[in-house]
Amino acid sequence: MGFILSLVTQERELISEEVDFIKANGVDGEFGVLPGHTPFITLLDPGELVVRKGDSLYAYYVSGGVAEVLPKSVVILANTVEREDEIDEQMARKARHNAEEALKQPITESERQTYLLDLKRETVRLSIVARRRSGQHPGQLTEEDGGGPFHI
Amino acid sequence: MPSLRSIRGRIKSVKNTRQITKAMEMVASAKMRKAQMRVRDTRPYAEKILELMKRLSAIESNIPNIFFKTRPVTTIGIILVSTDRGLCGPINFNVFRQVFRFMADRPGVRFEFVVIGKKGQDFLRRSGLKGIGSISGIKDRGEIEEILPATQVAIEEFQKERWDEVWIFYTHFESTLSQKPKMQKLLPIGSDLGDGKTNAASPFLGEYLYEPDTKDILEVLVPRYFESIVFQRVMENFASEYSARMMAMRNATSNAKEVIYQMTLVYNKLRQAAITREISEIASGADAVQQG
Repeated sequence: MGFILSLVTQERELISEEVDFIKANGVDGEFGVLPGHTPFITLLDPGELVVRKGDSLYAYYVSGGVAEVLPKSVVILANTVEREDEIDEQMARKARHNAEEALKQPITESERQTYLLDLKRETVRLSIVARRRSGQHPGQLTEEDGGGPFHI
Repeated sequence: MPSLRSIRGRIKSVKNTRQITKAMEMVASAKMRKAQMRVRDTRPYAEKILELMKRLSAIESNIPNIFFKTRPVTTIGIILVSTDRGLCGPINFNVFRQVFRFMADRPGVRFEFVVIGKKGQDFLRRSGLKGIGSISGIKDRGEIEEILPATQVAIEEFQKERWDEVWIFYTHFESTLSQKPKMQKLLPIGSDLGDGKTNAASPFLGEYLYEPDTKDILEVLVPRYFESIVFQRVMENFASEYSARMMAMRNATSNAKEVIYQMTLVYNKLRQAAITREISEIASGADAVQQG
């Protein structure tokens, strides 16, 4: 028995079906959800959303939003979402490079924050792409993931 | 009896009209298909966030947020969604009529409007109602940013406690053949939001855990809720507008066809009568010559 996941943005509905597990990036850190989770609401940071349904794993880039977790359902109201195959790697690479260069310049604190956010965002995007290209399952654990609640 | 020439002229002009209405029908139907898809795509988010707000208000009785507080109502703010252009059947009129009915049901309450669409501006001017802001020229493929000026005004008025309730009036898209005027309460957030059905019963007992905390989440969630609902309703209105226009133009085209058919009949009869008359004149002229 899984739970119902709704992944929606202003512009479209990406998922509305029963899944077994998700892992998302909340403002207070990554969290995993299995059926029967304690109800909670959290804001999301830019990051990866991993969804497991049966034996399949799907990865999405979520730019932020709100997640509502209930025992039998999860609603993710995302700002924008990109499926892993929708991420434009070249654009991301360029944007990351721009941000890195900009951070080297003498800039105001608020600008710095913006660029740091850019940098973080593009890094997440690129890591999703890189993993996809290496043929590695998004759910496979790597050293840096450090275990966590995610066991397949 | 009208002259042959004048009927010919009228047939021509109706044919021109038919061509125009036909073209407008086709334009509207192309736009309609896109707008209907957009409505389908934007509905889930709006529904989900509305349900979430209802659940929140049902679960927690004491939410430390002004948008959840019910106040005695002296002024109601209305967001009126209308079309920019006409020739789209009765949909604007139906919404305006509902506004009047709504106001008649609430004597002693002041009403202020934020209008989206030119037709609504005209309506306010004609009816002498108080508008405090309006936007027009929104694109049907537009982004949510375009409606933010309207939502910001409404949110500010509510925050300053000048408005005690905020409602939205728009035309709900049901199908190509049916669009219904609708009104929905948006603020304050309570279990009677949206259509007022309180079906968002709590799916669990107890409270949510909030990360980082209630205040931060609501600061993000409430404006997001308000904006996305208004945005989605504007999209509904577009789909309704194009559907209504397509139907109106389709009717106009078929009316034009009917008129052309009837006038062609009259025209042919007249022409035949003229020919017969000419023949009989010639014949009687010839008779007269022979007899003479």
